[in-house]
Amino acid sequence: MENALGLSGYQALMMTIVFALGILGIAGLFLALFWPKRWRLKYRIEIGFIVMLLALAWYAEDSSSRIFTEYQDAIRASGVLTAEATEPGGTFDRELRVVAFQWGFAFLSDDNKISRNAVVVKPGERVLFRIFSNDVIHGFNIPAVGITTEFDPGRERDIWIRTPEKPGKYLIQCLNYCGVGHAQMKAWLVVRA
Amino acid sequence: MAHELDAARMGGKPHWGPEDILGGMTLRDLLFSNDYRHIAIKGMLTSVMMLGLGGLLAMLFRTELAVPDIQFFDARPYMSLMTLHGMFMVFGFAIPLVISIMYYMMPKVLGTGRLLWAGGAQWSYWLLIVAAVLLIIARPDFTWTFYPPMALRVGGDLVWMGYVAIALVALSEFIAGAVLFRNGWGAKGRWKTLPLMGWAALAEGLLLMGSTPLLGLTGIYMLTDWLQLSAVFDPARGGDTMTFMYMFWFYGHPAVYLPLVPAIAILYTLLPRFLGRPMWSYMSGVIAFALLAVLSFVVFPHHFQPAHNATGLVQHIAQTMSLLIFIPSTMHVFNWIATLWSDPIPASAKRAIPFKFMIAAILFLILGGVTGYVNAQVAVDSDFIHNTYWVPAHFHAMFVGFIANMAMAGVYYLYPYMSGRMYSQAMGNQHFWLWQIGIFTKVTMMYVLGYAYFPRWVVDYLPLPQWTTPQLLLTGGAYLIGLGFILFVVNIMWSATHGRIVRGDPFPLEDEKTHPAASAAPAE
Repeated sequence: MENALGLSGYQALMMTIVFALGILGIAGLFLALFWPKRWRLKYRIEIGFIVMLLALAWYAEDSSSRIFTEYQDAIRASGVLTAEATEPGGTFDRELRVVAFQWGFAFLSDDNKISRNAVVVKPGERVLFRIFSNDVIHGFNIPAVGITTEFDPGRERDIWIRTPEKPGKYLIQCLNYCGVGHAQMKAWLVVRA
Repeated sequence: MAHELDAARMGGKPHWGPEDILGGMTLRDLLFSNDYRHIAIKGMLTSVMMLGLGGLLAMLFRTELAVPDIQFFDARPYMSLMTLHGMFMVFGFAIPLVISIMYYMMPKVLGTGRLLWAGGAQWSYWLLIVAAVLLIIARPDFTWTFYPPMALRVGGDLVWMGYVAIALVALSEFIAGAVLFRNGWGAKGRWKTLPLMGWAALAEGLLLMGSTPLLGLTGIYMLTDWLQLSAVFDPARGGDTMTFMYMFWFYGHPAVYLPLVPAIAILYTLLPRFLGRPMWSYMSGVIAFALLAVLSFVVFPHHFQPAHNATGLVQHIAQTMSLLIFIPSTMHVFNWIATLWSDPIPASAKRAIPFKFMIAAILFLILGGVTGYVNAQVAVDSDFIHNTYWVPAHFHAMFVGFIANMAMAGVYYLYPYMSGRMYSQAMGNQHFWLWQIGIFTKVTMMYVLGYAYFPRWVVDYLPLPQWTTPQLLLTGGAYLIGLGFILFVVNIMWSATHGRIVRGDPFPLEDEKTHPAASAAPAE
């Protein structure tokens, strides 16, 4: 199943780097504590280590920005950000307006049908969500496709996903504390062939 | 020359003689005396009580979260517990405890002999007490980040007290920052020999004084918005929630370094003390403190990255700085590991409870710090990081794993100096192992849950297999930490009357091979 941000490969690499750094640090600490051989480190080892971290930071900044820009460009290319169109945007198979409220999600389809807390889509579709909140700051997260956004009232936030190929019910949840009903603020992405 | 500089900078001498300050102190001394030791002891006692209270609240909601469905608490009381847990742990325990330990250590370590502007420290303490009382009365349920407009529309009639408390916390922290800066500045003219704790005091003072005004202003605007006198943050009446985000997180990101910097300073003071040798690099520590102080003011937009409001160049800068901020922390950790590695570790250090807590703290700083590399990246953040349990995992590794462990190291270290008696070694060891096993379980399970998209701030959750097992283990880990804390309290209370009486240096440097009890003579 493809990740909405196209992150699967990149994210695995990032997690590997994090694990490697953690193991390196903990190994260094344990060697310093328990290994009988003593070692006076040179300053250039620290400088070398910092240069390596700078390279990692540069790589992460560059890749993360590129992935995120490409993701947003897909929305911009569809033209929906500038037009008030209710027809499906250029490159998306389906466009849904989402109203997040205390506490739930309502989905408005192209033909102005409303469904609450569940939305039916086809497998492998490119779906654009145009999300609004009328009351407080909410979040919108679909774990199955790995996308999260947070949006404040009064502003539209757009995200898009490629729906899972496997038919089934996928969780949509609010990820920002929005009042006592926060734990109940869920919806379902129903993928049906 | 280099050797003399090292000796002055390392801060590695035993600075006090053991003394029964706890026993010789009247209630009046404890409450109002401006003696730095009384102020510090008062701060430490209060913070440990806040840790107990915050921990008790955590035990309650961890019990609720152990299994899915609602068993004991409804959403509103659950959120009150959660909010007070956050506020007491951050404002009442983490920040004041490490600052109190600094109050105790600075006069001797920096050589000023007394706490400069001790009256400020007194004011700072009492303002925080008022804030804590107001919070307990108000019992807000808007989480410690109180995002409007949600926070303006929840809670009862007393919720305004919560906003007053926030403004008071800001004032209290600002004054504490001024005190710390004044004490660091008091060493002017001998910058070259200023121990790293002095540089930490300067950095911490700047962080506190630079960030807290916006927290105070945020609290005041929340109050006036709630009273309907203004509409700064309420979009329904023409305000803007993004203003809140920028104002609050301008405090909120330096805020997470507020307990970190003193904890690092304590480590820099205790490590040479237990090893009997200076730090590997003095300059590396100074540069790292300076970098941390500067960078921490420009990374805050990563707290609302998926809101996509910071775009373009601002986004790039925030992301770059958030990535770069792991460099000063890495320099600190590198320095500690290099110091440990350079020479044999004395047997006396390996036995000492504070040293053990210190090593565990370094381990958790690594465990919590490495994930900063993914947290900073907007693309990965917009996947599984933002507001899942990944974020609590990251900051609990830092706050509990590093800061609480370091605070415990500081308290155990100062204990014989304050009470004239030694803590119980056996109970100290049990506390140590209960905590490390508990914290490791808790942090790891939080990371696992975060990676499985478990949302923050929920009282109830779906019985998914990837969620239920880690939640149960997480609750188990929390209980171990609670048990360890009880042992710690029993230890300090029992040892105050029954502990071995200490004469001379309570932590003499000993090595089984070379020179037993080489420096057993007291410093004073």
